[in-house]
Amino acid sequence: MDYLSIESLQVSYVQDNQITPALKNFSLSLPFGSIGVIIGPSGCGKSTLLNVLAGLNQIYQGTVLINGKSPKECCATALILQEYGLLPWKTVWDNVRLGLQIRGFSKKETVLRTEKILNKLGLLYLRKRYPAQLSGGQQQRIAIARSLVLEPELLLMDEPFSSLDALTREEMQDFLLELWHETNLTILLISHNIEEAVFLGQKIFVMSECPGTIIKELSNPLAGDYSARGKVEFLEITNSLRSSLRGLN
Amino acid sequence: MNQRDLIQKSFYTLTAVVILIAFWYLLSLILNTPALPTPLAAFKSFFELFTSELMSHLTISFYRVGVSLVIATVLGVPLGLFLGKNKRADEFSAPLIYMTYPVPKVVFLPIFLILLGIGNLSKIVLITLIIFYLILVTTRDAARNLPKEYVVSVKSLSANELELYQHVYFPACLPAILTSLRLGLGIAMSVLFLVETYATQEGIGYFIMNSWSSLSYDKMFAGIIAMGLMGFLLYLLLDACEKVLCSWVHL
Repeated sequence: MDYLSIESLQVSYVQDNQITPALKNFSLSLPFGSIGVIIGPSGCGKSTLLNVLAGLNQIYQGTVLINGKSPKECCATALILQEYGLLPWKTVWDNVRLGLQIRGFSKKETVLRTEKILNKLGLLYLRKRYPAQLSGGQQQRIAIARSLVLEPELLLMDEPFSSLDALTREEMQDFLLELWHETNLTILLISHNIEEAVFLGQKIFVMSECPGTIIKELSNPLAGDYSARGKVEFLEITNSLRSSLRGLN
Repeated sequence: MNQRDLIQKSFYTLTAVVILIAFWYLLSLILNTPALPTPLAAFKSFFELFTSELMSHLTISFYRVGVSLVIATVLGVPLGLFLGKNKRADEFSAPLIYMTYPVPKVVFLPIFLILLGIGNLSKIVLITLIIFYLILVTTRDAARNLPKEYVVSVKSLSANELELYQHVYFPACLPAILTSLRLGLGIAMSVLFLVETYATQEGIGYFIMNSWSSLSYDKMFAGIIAMGLMGFLLYLLLDACEKVLCSWVHL
């Protein structure tokens, strides 16, 4: 059974008194413990999809099931945003423990879990700093720590590395793979970067322009292979994806 | 703030005080009138009167400004946050705020004196009303312009409405709130002087005007120094609050 199952999803927005569809007839499925990457043109409704999956947008038609539950009932998801979503007025420690605090964990449990995750990711030495005192890569690691501390089953990532420079981006991709190998996380990542999609995504979904729907689904045998970036097959898949995306423009 | 910064800041403050006093001294020499005594005469009078007369007037003035600032903050901040967060409520209230905000509230002083009496209440209500608007509008605008990503990221952690105010809206708007309080303080001191010159025999405003009418200019300037110092100390207090509560802004 698929861990994430979306069928005939339709989401619309009211804009200037007109109903604008953002997603139409959108279907997707992802097995437990896999990485799916969604790639598509700007404004095709990718972020709308993540809002639905994170339970932030509950007005939709169609079926969305995460481990058999609706996004509202399922609290095993965590969302990571493009601009990290860290609160500038909270220290690293306070940012990471925020989710636990909100979900009503005891003080002792909160301290234990926060310390454990920061230690695991090698970030404990940054605990007293504010986000403005961190590099882009460090901020994204903290955002990941803030999500992982909740021990989610499904990690939703909205263009998480797009603000980073090329080298840091590759570092972070490796870091995410390491994390994925260590945990049983199911990851759904949105990206604009074709190489990133091929490096990380076991399943790659290409979306159409707005209203967004899946127009191509690709199973990628190279995903999770650290040495994939230099292989000929890697280039072939990226070229194939590039052609699919060009066909949209 | 490290020791070097502290020394530098103290030096700049001292320099400003010296420049102000030198300017005052020169002006008093040039004008050569009893209406503008030298700084020495004014400060002498200030220290002589501080415990005997000034203290009681200062206490009552401080009470009026302090209570007004607290009430205006307690009312203005939650309402401003609510309006900034809720688009519909903001749209509904906007015309009312825009119509009443530019009206100079001091014109209501006679009405307040009639309705609320000549005691502290009428003065506190007038000062509160003026600062309230400033805090309300500043807080609302700060909440309205808050980057959406902060709200989305905390909402995704299952935060409810109250937690959004606690973890996002209030701390994000705190620098703007403190700025509006500092601006409000300046206005409050001006209004305080005005309200204390009518129908009262208490307060530093009354003390200044009473000294003026009895031609005791040294005494009048002692009152001006006292009022200036009170404003300056309150300003420093708000400044310290900002340094402690919004340390992340100064990184």
